[in-house]
Amino acid sequence: MNDFNSLRDTTRRHFFDQCGIGVGAMALSQLQSQASGSDSLNKVSNPLAPKPTHFPAKAKRIIFLFMAGGPSQLDLFDYKPELSRLNGEPMPASYLEGKRFAFMNSSHRVNLLGTHRSFAQYGQTGTWVSDLLPHTAKIADELTFIHTCKTDLFNHAPAKLFMNTGSGQFGRPSMGAWFTYGLGSECDNLPGFVVLQSGPRGPRGGAIHWSSGMLPSTYQGVPLRNKGEPILNLTTPSSVSDAQQVEVLKATAQLNDLRLKEYGDDEIATRINAYEMAYKMQTSAPELMDTSSETQETLDFYGIKDAKESTFARNCLLARRLAQRGVRFVQLYHTNWDHHGGPTENLQEHLPKIATEVDQASAALVLDLKRHGLLEDTIVVWGGEFGRTPMGEVRESTGRNHHIDAFTMWFAGGGFKPGTSYGVTDEFGFGPVQDPVHVRDIHATLLHQMGLNHERLTVRSQGLDFKLTGVLPARIVKEVLA
Amino acid sequence: MTVKPKLHLIPGFFVFAFGFMLICSSRALAEEEVRFNRDVRPILAEHCLACHGFDHAKREAGLRLDTHEGATATLDSGAIAVVPGKPDESELIKRIISDEHDSVMPPPETGKQLSEAQKKVLRQWVQKGAGVEKHWSFERPAKPTIPSVDSPTTAQVHPIDFFIREKLASHSLNPSPVADATTLIRRLSFDLTGLPPTLAELDAFLVDYESNPDSAYTVLVDRLLRSAAYGEKWGRWWLDQARYADSNGYSVDAPRQIWKYRDWVIDAFNKDMPFDQFAIEQLAGDLLPDATLEQKVATGFHRNTPINQEGGIDEEQFRIDSVFDRVATTGTVFLGLTIGCAQCHDHKFDPILQREFYQFFAFFNNQDEPTLSIDPTAEEASKLKQQKSKLELAKTKIIEETAAAVTNWENELSDEQKANLPKYASKAIQIDPTKRTFDHREDLYVTEVGKDDKRYKDLIASIKKIDVRLNKGITSLILKEREKPRETHLFIQGDFTRPSDLVFPSTPSVLPSLPSGEATPNRLDLAKWLVSKDNPLTARVIVNRVWQQFFGRGIVETENDFGTQGAVPTHSDLLDYLAVDWIDEGWSFKRLHRKIVMSQAYRQSSIDRPELRDKDPNNYLLARQRRLRLEAELVRDAGLVACDLLTSHVGGPPVYPPIPPGVMELAQVKREWKESVGKDRYRRGMYTFVYRGNPHPSLNVFDAPEGITSCTRRIRSNTPLQALTLLNDKAFFEFANALAKIIDRDGIESAFRRCTSRIPSEDEKAVLSRLDSISAARVLLNLDETVTRE
Repeated sequence: MNDFNSLRDTTRRHFFDQCGIGVGAMALSQLQSQASGSDSLNKVSNPLAPKPTHFPAKAKRIIFLFMAGGPSQLDLFDYKPELSRLNGEPMPASYLEGKRFAFMNSSHRVNLLGTHRSFAQYGQTGTWVSDLLPHTAKIADELTFIHTCKTDLFNHAPAKLFMNTGSGQFGRPSMGAWFTYGLGSECDNLPGFVVLQSGPRGPRGGAIHWSSGMLPSTYQGVPLRNKGEPILNLTTPSSVSDAQQVEVLKATAQLNDLRLKEYGDDEIATRINAYEMAYKMQTSAPELMDTSSETQETLDFYGIKDAKESTFARNCLLARRLAQRGVRFVQLYHTNWDHHGGPTENLQEHLPKIATEVDQASAALVLDLKRHGLLEDTIVVWGGEFGRTPMGEVRESTGRNHHIDAFTMWFAGGGFKPGTSYGVTDEFGFGPVQDPVHVRDIHATLLHQMGLNHERLTVRSQGLDFKLTGVLPARIVKEVLA
Repeated sequence: MTVKPKLHLIPGFFVFAFGFMLICSSRALAEEEVRFNRDVRPILAEHCLACHGFDHAKREAGLRLDTHEGATATLDSGAIAVVPGKPDESELIKRIISDEHDSVMPPPETGKQLSEAQKKVLRQWVQKGAGVEKHWSFERPAKPTIPSVDSPTTAQVHPIDFFIREKLASHSLNPSPVADATTLIRRLSFDLTGLPPTLAELDAFLVDYESNPDSAYTVLVDRLLRSAAYGEKWGRWWLDQARYADSNGYSVDAPRQIWKYRDWVIDAFNKDMPFDQFAIEQLAGDLLPDATLEQKVATGFHRNTPINQEGGIDEEQFRIDSVFDRVATTGTVFLGLTIGCAQCHDHKFDPILQREFYQFFAFFNNQDEPTLSIDPTAEEASKLKQQKSKLELAKTKIIEETAAAVTNWENELSDEQKANLPKYASKAIQIDPTKRTFDHREDLYVTEVGKDDKRYKDLIASIKKIDVRLNKGITSLILKEREKPRETHLFIQGDFTRPSDLVFPSTPSVLPSLPSGEATPNRLDLAKWLVSKDNPLTARVIVNRVWQQFFGRGIVETENDFGTQGAVPTHSDLLDYLAVDWIDEGWSFKRLHRKIVMSQAYRQSSIDRPELRDKDPNNYLLARQRRLRLEAELVRDAGLVACDLLTSHVGGPPVYPPIPPGVMELAQVKREWKESVGKDRYRRGMYTFVYRGNPHPSLNVFDAPEGITSCTRRIRSNTPLQALTLLNDKAFFEFANALAKIIDRDGIESAFRRCTSRIPSEDEKAVLSRLDSISAARVLLNLDETVTRE
């Protein structure tokens, strides 16, 4: 943290020297006029001020559609006729030697399970997609599929953490925090890293997934809530009038400014700024959530039936609205993709249900970004913390267990090469036979597209320089980039 | 160049120079001044040792620069990196001044570059014979002599001030004047008790200070050190390091009971338990002879690891993860070493082998992790149960002896009377007498015959009392050594599925060895070793972390890394003085705290001065104090005191102050948050229940740790979400309403003082007087100054 603090101190000091005692007055005047344009004050004493990239960036923001629980790539994207042909046969032992799985001692089985879904080829690229995702199939030519994604951990919370932070251990910054730390935010009235959730429950592990780890909490993801106020404590207490709130903010700024003049501590200038941003958020966050200005055509396009209801589709629309406002990193979580075969998580009924919940809106988001001219500098990522086994897992019905050696994710926009399928898995979809892509390679690639060198974006803590991609070598997957 | 070894530093090691290093390196170095630890090692550590250091697996070109032998050895290529006294013949010097892309060191792709000043230092070092010192922190500290500083009152100068002023003088800087009385009492009160002074405390102090500043200050310090709130404030400091929380963490994040450990820590500070005992009881209390209940509770220190209760996990994997955490935490908290780095490979910078990591691991691999029954204890519970059955027997006897009388009473009842009996009795009476249970018969007995039976009533009361005790169910998580030790193996790449060599408990060889003995050393031996006088690290590390609390930064800025990658101490003699003095004075925290706050350095004003902005913008030399935003819990505490709502009860189960709606729904498993009412609603922030996976937002937003890993320094962020919390959060609005009433009753000036401790200026009063009471109260609670200790 030392480097960070001293850097921050230096920039603030520089600012302070230049602006002297005018700081508070500037902030105050802005507060009074409610001007929305950014000024020099925000740029230097705001830790979220935009920062230069390491090299020219292809993309400016990321929308990560996190399919929590681990979608079955074998029933969605990775077409394996041989697996279907040998359905029910034992998995050849050679595949399983030395492998570890979740639920190893209870329900693990080694018989192959072919998909129940029908697959077809779509688009000019002839991409295989199952019947569960008709809308996604239609835009296959816009997407970049990686079938050989690989992770290290096979339990939900650690694996989600790994996808988000590059480590299964707690206490590391998540991707969104890294991006706002490295790049700042281009939005001066909303947080730079926003989290949206849908589905029956929160993702396993909760707030650790959008933690800022050893970075300051400024960079932590802010969950936008679907019920009640979108940001905690956003709403002025009900007995306080708007006029009173403005008076409170004005007086607070004035008194803080007096103190700033006396002490010369730039933390006070930062706090004056923070109150100004808080005040802006009180207006801008509800405005963001209010989709009444969207046309019926748009709502239908996403498949939003009730704009007040908290659904994945509505969150996709909000993601587009956040992208329009310059928010750096938007993460949508949708639960639950954990289809082991139990009573609420089978492949026959629950997988189709959740696939339907996300299919139309995921595709609509890509197309909607495109027609708004945002797709070229926005990366959309679709995937979960791991995939699922080609072997059946026998519970109430036959489902699939967690699988970490090969699973599918797709990417769109932001300089990814559209209409690409990358990485080849074996005849059962168990492991990669060509072009494995580890989670840290995905991280390195996303950082690269955003103009950051993954080896240079570091933070010092506990005597080490931490980075999103960790200590093992990571590769930018150039083959999937335009 | 005969050979062009590929020398790659770890890419991405991209370190900004610390301000202090800037000071050091910009200082014109006279030739004789070059000292290895102070001047040379930091340069090597930052630029060279990743590839030419201790880790032999990553060593490039066979070159090791952190030992004299290594640096001067003839390499495979025939070149010699360092030829003592002959810089021009030394490959190291040739390489660092080279213009060639392929030959210059460090390699350009690392993004690192030596400054001209740094090159000059290395050249001088080689010129002077390239002497290598052991890393400073691995040498046992000696108590330095107090340097002399020209001062008319040298005799009265506090030892701390000798060191601080010497450094300041060498940079032609003066310390700042002492802060005003109001700032002093506010600063001291927050630093020692975590609470602002009350108006009565303020007034009394200001009067005393006016007549005799020094004695008033001393009396204040001693009063605060005796206050029960002292244990809370400093207990919380320790709980950060102990990664205390009230839930199991991971995805399921179920609540746990371990608050007795938290209370043990508070109590230890209030009793001023010597640190050596404090450490031993926490690390190995269960192994002490005739361990008391408290000593067992103390072992909760290492039970503060998260527990994964997700389905489908391999429990051994997560047991081992918690042992890894115990090793890393012990290393960080007590030794200030990143031992955890050697989990997968030899340490890259510090002399810790992977094998040594697992030898350290072996101390922590031999415990069971039981839950201790505390109230009642297991013994008490069995006694209580015995007593209870005796009482029940006596009760049975009464019911049996009075059976005939009850039957008579029953027989004389009319149907109407039967219908009008209390519900329980009418139910019992309808049952056939031969089929009645004991309870039925008891119900009938108390209805009439026994309604005035005092003996019976006493029995019932006694039984109830016992039940209350039995149902209390206060427990805590502890460590318990296993009779039969587990074997410990080195894990290849830290992967527990790949065990390799068998290892036995031992400490890293770079540090003094354990006393030799017959038996295999255990956790108790390790704990004693950590706090032995020979250990060069522990006292320095803890003293430094205490200093950090009082000045916002440690003497060693990297408070969790005293290894070769850590920062150089800004005042190494001061650090050693404090460490040795602390041990000599019996490891007393209260004495140490007293010593620090009695110094003039501590009492200085924190107002910035123009000349300091150029010479020491980051205040490494301590020419002034520093404004520090209050820690998360104290933001709440300050509000509670200002509004006169604080419940100052020490210890007990965690509490549930208001939480914004919808917070608990974010967790995977929804947990109940039953908002505390009455006194528990207004407890100090440190008693708020901490769910690791879903910590209370108003604490989290002000950077309170979640207890996931050991936290040795809190971040102090400054964000809009903090503003929203202070403005709109239910709890803070409740405080504002209480403060508004105080404004109505006592006036704005009094309320202003409750929040900032000082009297407002006319300008400030003018701003506030335009507002209604509730608005003024909200402004006061939102001031930067209110949440800051100056």
